[in-house]
Amino acid sequence: MRSRTLALLLVLSLSLVLLAGTASAQETAEPKSSIMVSSYHVSPEVLMQKDIGTITVTVKNMELLESVKIKEASLIDRDLKVLSKPYVNIGSLGPGESLTLSFTIQAGFEDGIFYPKLLVDAEAAENVRYQIPVKVESTSLAMGLHALPEEIVKDDRAHLELLVGNSRPNTVTGVKIVTADEQVIPSEVFLGALPSDESTVAEFEYTPQSTGTQTIHFVLEFRNGDNRHVTTLDVPLTVTESKKSAELILTGIEVEPLLEPSGYKITGDINNAGLEEARSVVMKVGEAAGIAAIDPYKTYFVGLLDPDDFSSFELDIAVEGDVTTVPLLIEYKDEDGNLFSQVEYVSIEHREQAQNPDELPLPLIGALVVIAVFVVGMIVYSWKKR
Amino acid sequence: MNLLEVLTNPNAFFAAKLQDAMSLRVPALLVLISGLISGSAAYMITGITLEMLQGTLPPEAQSIAATVGGVSAFVGAVLFSLLLWVIYTAVFFGISALFKGEGDFKRTLEFVGYGYIPIIIGGIISAILIYNFVATAQPPHVTDPAALAEVIAQWITSNPTFQLAPVIGILFMLWAANIWIFGLKHARNLSTKHAAITVGIPIAVYILYSVWQLGVLW
Repeated sequence: MRSRTLALLLVLSLSLVLLAGTASAQETAEPKSSIMVSSYHVSPEVLMQKDIGTITVTVKNMELLESVKIKEASLIDRDLKVLSKPYVNIGSLGPGESLTLSFTIQAGFEDGIFYPKLLVDAEAAENVRYQIPVKVESTSLAMGLHALPEEIVKDDRAHLELLVGNSRPNTVTGVKIVTADEQVIPSEVFLGALPSDESTVAEFEYTPQSTGTQTIHFVLEFRNGDNRHVTTLDVPLTVTESKKSAELILTGIEVEPLLEPSGYKITGDINNAGLEEARSVVMKVGEAAGIAAIDPYKTYFVGLLDPDDFSSFELDIAVEGDVTTVPLLIEYKDEDGNLFSQVEYVSIEHREQAQNPDELPLPLIGALVVIAVFVVGMIVYSWKKR
Repeated sequence: MNLLEVLTNPNAFFAAKLQDAMSLRVPALLVLISGLISGSAAYMITGITLEMLQGTLPPEAQSIAATVGGVSAFVGAVLFSLLLWVIYTAVFFGISALFKGEGDFKRTLEFVGYGYIPIIIGGIISAILIYNFVATAQPPHVTDPAALAEVIAQWITSNPTFQLAPVIGILFMLWAANIWIFGLKHARNLSTKHAAITVGIPIAVYILYSVWQLGVLW
């Protein structure tokens, strides 16, 4: 009995040794090659939601003597959308050679770090399963008003500065600020690339044409990789009338008839009651129905008017119909060359229309008849008394 | 003798006056008053005419021109009235000589002078009309003398004042002529018919000239 047990143990031991020997022989007969991901690159480095980006992966054959035939390479993920198709039948990769594979991905509607898996299926080699971290962050660029004058005056140029900051973890490119407001120049400021955690200033000149609250609409455009993004900024500004600007008023207006039919000469003084000088002051007859400027003074050039100074002027006009007021257009410039204009109205009284002899006023005709009757009566009476 | 009788009954007035000594004091005064009234009207017309030319002269020269021009017109009108008195008398004296008129020139001058009373009344009315015109007119400013003449011509032919003043002048001249007929009759010892012809010829010429000036005959 004891000898039978020993014999059984021996058989089992031999069997184990044989099995082990067989397994060892098989391993030695089919050795598998080694490939690996040597590097990868995600562009843009950080995607924004719905951004499209690329993942570039380099696969290297680590064998020193044997080639590896790569059958398929694909990228898969549940959260990121892989837009490009898998690589199929790529071919052989020589010893030590590398292969670059690119995959197009699109971010979803969530921020976070995602790990799409790279699967490389090779013949006679270890399959590769490699997770590539892709970061999605939707933080946009920040834009705000950096500087503006204390007082924004109508028709006066105001200097505005906008600050653009990049709080994203990656550099954005093609940064520019655009506005459609015709009162703002330039209409577009190009800022270029803006690295992470840096800011830059865009300068604008604003010349409002009316008073009250005016809103300027700025649009900030930039690219994250190849993806265009837009953010807007509305800047409400309060525009007031200038307290110092030239203030032109007319005094001593006189309207005198000219020889020309319905012609009038308008004379008077133009005064600068403001605190700043008015340059290149020109007076014209405003456009109105039935009114036309005539020579020799269709326009009158006054020139420079200092504060508290005045100048006389003359304008000649011809009127038609029942025109009772004449608009006078005053144009002048400030020291920056901004053109201002204002309209003042002057009343005219129509001269007495020349009357024909047939149109003698009735009272005059009556008086004439009375005088004639009286004179004839006196003559007749004197002859009767003779 | 009441001076107003020369208006109501000139025949009796001059018949009675013929008995008095010749005196030119009152007639000369009447002619002078007539001249002063004409001078005032001339002063006003000159003023408004120079106002139209104010753009052609410097302000100082304008002021001097207005003063000198106005005074000259006034003095000229006064002197012309006195001269016209003598001319009327001379014409009447000459024509009446054709009808064998007899009488002293000075007496004729005296009686013609009394005939200026209606002319004074007519002159006052005309002066009032001209003053009214000058006060309300808006004279245009002209630089060309031709344009000035055009404006004045336009006034004469179209303005009621300038239309009426000569008509009134003609009416009162007819009244004066009526007085002169009786004055000449007595001063030159003429028949009424010859006196009427003597006065009628120059007065008719005057009236025709006045009507022609009005533009009626144009």
